[in-house]
Amino acid sequence: MTGAAPVPVMLRTRKLVKEYRAGGLCVEALRGVDIELAFGEFVAVMGPSGSGKSTLLHVLGGLVQATSGEIWLRGQRVDGLSKRDWAIQRRRHIGYVFQSANLLSTMTVADNVELPAILSGVSARQARQRREELLDDLGLTDKARVAPARLSGGEQQRVALARALAHHPSLLLADEPTGNLDSANTRDVLRLLRRTHAEGQAILLVTHDARVASNADRVINLYDGMVADDWSFG
Amino acid sequence: MSARATPHATLRWVRADLRARPGQAVLTVGVVAGVVVALILAAMLLEGTANPWQGLFARTRGADVIIRFAHGTDLAKLAALPGVTAVGAPSVVVPATLEQGVAESPVELRAMLPAEPALSAPLVTAGSWLRAGDRTPTAVVEASFAAAAHLRVGEKIAVAGVDGNTATMTVAGLAYTTDQGFYPQATPGLIWVLPATLRQVEEVPSETEEVVGLRLGDPSANGIGQVVQEVYNAYHTTTERSPVEQVTTWQQVETSMASNDRLLGLLLALFGLIALIAALYAIANVTAARVLVQRRDIAMLGALGFTPGQVVWALLAEQTALGAAATAVGLAGAWAATRSAAFIGPPDGIPVALTPLPAAWMALAAAGTISTVAVATVVPAWRAGRVSLAAAVAASPPRGRLSRLARIGLLVRLPAPLVLGARDSFTRRLPAALTIVGVAIPMAMITIALTCWTTLDGFSGDPGRVDLAAALTVYPGSESIQAEQAQLARDPQIAADYPGAEFDTLLPGATATFTARAMGTSSRPYPFDVVQGAMFTSYNEAIAGQGLLDLLHYNVGDWVEVTVDGVPMIFHIVGRTLDPDNNGDVLDFGLDALALNAAAAEPQFYSLVLKPGVNPAAARRQLLRDSRDRLQVQQAANPADDLGVLRVAIVISVAVLAIIGLANLLTATAVGVGDHLHEADVLAAIGLTPRQVMATLVVNTTILTAVGAAVGTAAGLAVAPLLVNARGQASGLGWGIAAAPSAGLIAAMLAITLTIATAAALLVARRSARALDPLVPLRPPLTAPRPAP
Repeated sequence: MTGAAPVPVMLRTRKLVKEYRAGGLCVEALRGVDIELAFGEFVAVMGPSGSGKSTLLHVLGGLVQATSGEIWLRGQRVDGLSKRDWAIQRRRHIGYVFQSANLLSTMTVADNVELPAILSGVSARQARQRREELLDDLGLTDKARVAPARLSGGEQQRVALARALAHHPSLLLADEPTGNLDSANTRDVLRLLRRTHAEGQAILLVTHDARVASNADRVINLYDGMVADDWSFG
Repeated sequence: MSARATPHATLRWVRADLRARPGQAVLTVGVVAGVVVALILAAMLLEGTANPWQGLFARTRGADVIIRFAHGTDLAKLAALPGVTAVGAPSVVVPATLEQGVAESPVELRAMLPAEPALSAPLVTAGSWLRAGDRTPTAVVEASFAAAAHLRVGEKIAVAGVDGNTATMTVAGLAYTTDQGFYPQATPGLIWVLPATLRQVEEVPSETEEVVGLRLGDPSANGIGQVVQEVYNAYHTTTERSPVEQVTTWQQVETSMASNDRLLGLLLALFGLIALIAALYAIANVTAARVLVQRRDIAMLGALGFTPGQVVWALLAEQTALGAAATAVGLAGAWAATRSAAFIGPPDGIPVALTPLPAAWMALAAAGTISTVAVATVVPAWRAGRVSLAAAVAASPPRGRLSRLARIGLLVRLPAPLVLGARDSFTRRLPAALTIVGVAIPMAMITIALTCWTTLDGFSGDPGRVDLAAALTVYPGSESIQAEQAQLARDPQIAADYPGAEFDTLLPGATATFTARAMGTSSRPYPFDVVQGAMFTSYNEAIAGQGLLDLLHYNVGDWVEVTVDGVPMIFHIVGRTLDPDNNGDVLDFGLDALALNAAAAEPQFYSLVLKPGVNPAAARRQLLRDSRDRLQVQQAANPADDLGVLRVAIVISVAVLAIIGLANLLTATAVGVGDHLHEADVLAAIGLTPRQVMATLVVNTTILTAVGAAVGTAAGLAVAPLLVNARGQASGLGWGIAAAPSAGLIAAMLAITLTIATAAALLVARRSARALDPLVPLRPPLTAPRPAP
């Protein structure tokens, strides 16, 4: 423990370490990462393959447990939370977008988008309204009753983004959301991200693409599991 | 806030999931409902076999008390007595004699009308009820008496009254009643006739009696006691004897009908229990497979904010709901089955009255089944709760590599689908093992069931195996023994005849009795099937049934001292036979062993072995005709007939087990397809045709099925004889009754299993192969929900 709680920011890590052990081999994916994200800030994380970008995002979302170090979310220390408490943090505060859309295969597009909203506690009617709003924004209104498998890759990724935003999370964690998309789809996704940011949501976006990163307020470069540099767009 | 939201989100997911895989849901419901029906039918059969009274009483609207009054009693008073809720129509009865050649059986004629009475309506199981207006009077014979007296529907019978008035009548039907117990526990045999027919036999009304059944408000022993007292009081007279001749309570009838064959029940219960375990396994397997196939989805649920506990609850809730639906279907099915058939049983066996189970039992069965389903889901659901959330982001391809064997296979140009499919079967050992066990358990059970069936077939087809080589036994009638033997020797249907004599004998130093039997002579013994040791060949040698050996704690090779018909004798037990008589408490020797006792050495009967293909019943009728009814001929009862109900149970269990096996097969195929989907995409991308990809998936399932079926059949063949023989041993028949199913039957069973497995795999694989798209090796899972209406 390092004395008094830090000043409340959206997200703060201190000496965050993640080691993977496989077959007697120990790989350090994160080697003491310190980052900070203010409320409403849009930060892009860049770096070469294997630099620990995705691992950082998984650890920050509680999908993977950190080996050591601290994570503070909205002024609350969360690195030691149980799986259950992490799930509750996610349903209240965090939206997640993955590189591949990962839509729930057994649910329709509408169900996929409404599920996080219902899980966060809003009524079925409100969830439906929110879903209609989001799908409308993304031009997917006519696909609401369709199975995810019948959508194109770009459409799936847009649905995944709508799903991540359905419960108004204060933090959006996005792992290469445009990685598999063509330029038109990339443009649509970025437009929605910008608007989300404008509404005051904090975004942590992992990307390879400098053009995508240029939408952020700040860019953090990871190299070999450590923060190599951290700079803001003037 | 989120606590309230949880059930909504869970419900939404469960609903979507059920809609996305209706086939799997239907299969789960089918398996569980099948087991429920099988269990309830087994319980009903068990109850119906052990306590036939219950079902009969309900179906015949039986009377609580049956009272026999002297002729001319005023029965109107009965209805007014306290405690009596209903009075049946009185019927007139007379004692009479059924004449069958030289054999005469005491019977009771009971006058009834063609219309069905409100109380004590006999349940007709063959033919029809009494008809008025036929030229020959009709009669309905109580079914257990009809079986003992070899009476059939359509047969003409002669019945003589006490005064010698004889009436000829046609047997119109056979029926059961709870007015008296089964023959011969309850005597005399009961025959229902029209009042006019009864008057033909007994013209004097004062010689008749009247029987009336009562329904009581309180049918307990206590309540009955009070009512009977009221009856005695109401008809009490100081001057003459009471007109109340006899009182029979339902409790007395129930006791006299009760069967003591608990072993049959145990066997049925065993089958039901194993089917339940197999179903438990199948459900656990289906759920585990779902968790395996849906790992990504389940991890994604976690990433969206489902807690591990919620994931567990969602799966439990879904499976339990399916279990509840299945139980409802099963209960409805069992209800329908018992509504449509009052009796269940093969045409050649003794039918069993289906006893409607009490509501409490049904509730217990329902609760038990639903909790069984829940229990089967707990472990896989718990595993689902522990799925690593990283699975949501990283699709891990199936582990494993091309083994040396697979590489050699490809090098020698074996078809690629065969090599790859075979390799796929064992890439993931746990699912492979689960599938193999899932197929092996039902296969082992089916093999055991087939062994039971073959054993029963052995009894019916080759009665010599159970010392029933002689289908008929002839007792001397009015002819002398010598004349009788001369007649038998002339009969072209008879292959051989053996003189015999039978004595009830006290066990040495014990209170129980056994049957000492002379069968043939030591130089020409009756053709016993000696399963251990050898046949008796000398006057001081004997063979014994397992029951007797157990009673005496003797073994083959021991000497036994017995007193047969007052003469002490010593026998060397040289062999053991399978004998269904007297629970196997039998000692058999040659008639010449009784030479010292001239009276005992006279044959009491002749056992007749018929020529192959001769129908015993037809031969019996022929013999009776030829001797102009001077002979008394008995047809041997085959124990297989009593076990007829077992055949029904076997058919039911094989059907249920087949459904369970199929469920496991489909699960295996679904896992195979889900597991290798990404790989299949890659295979398609590197140039395998869709047909080859499909073949790979089919080979995978077929190999696992073949291994499971082989293991299960082998285990069944190893265990079945032990189980069947143990039952034989326990029932006194002795060890060695089991007959293994023929190689052809086993081969057919395996062929059917593999065909079904291949067809099922083909069905699932075809759907998947059609969806393959070589351009997108990494595509979302194939299972798609149906668009909501």
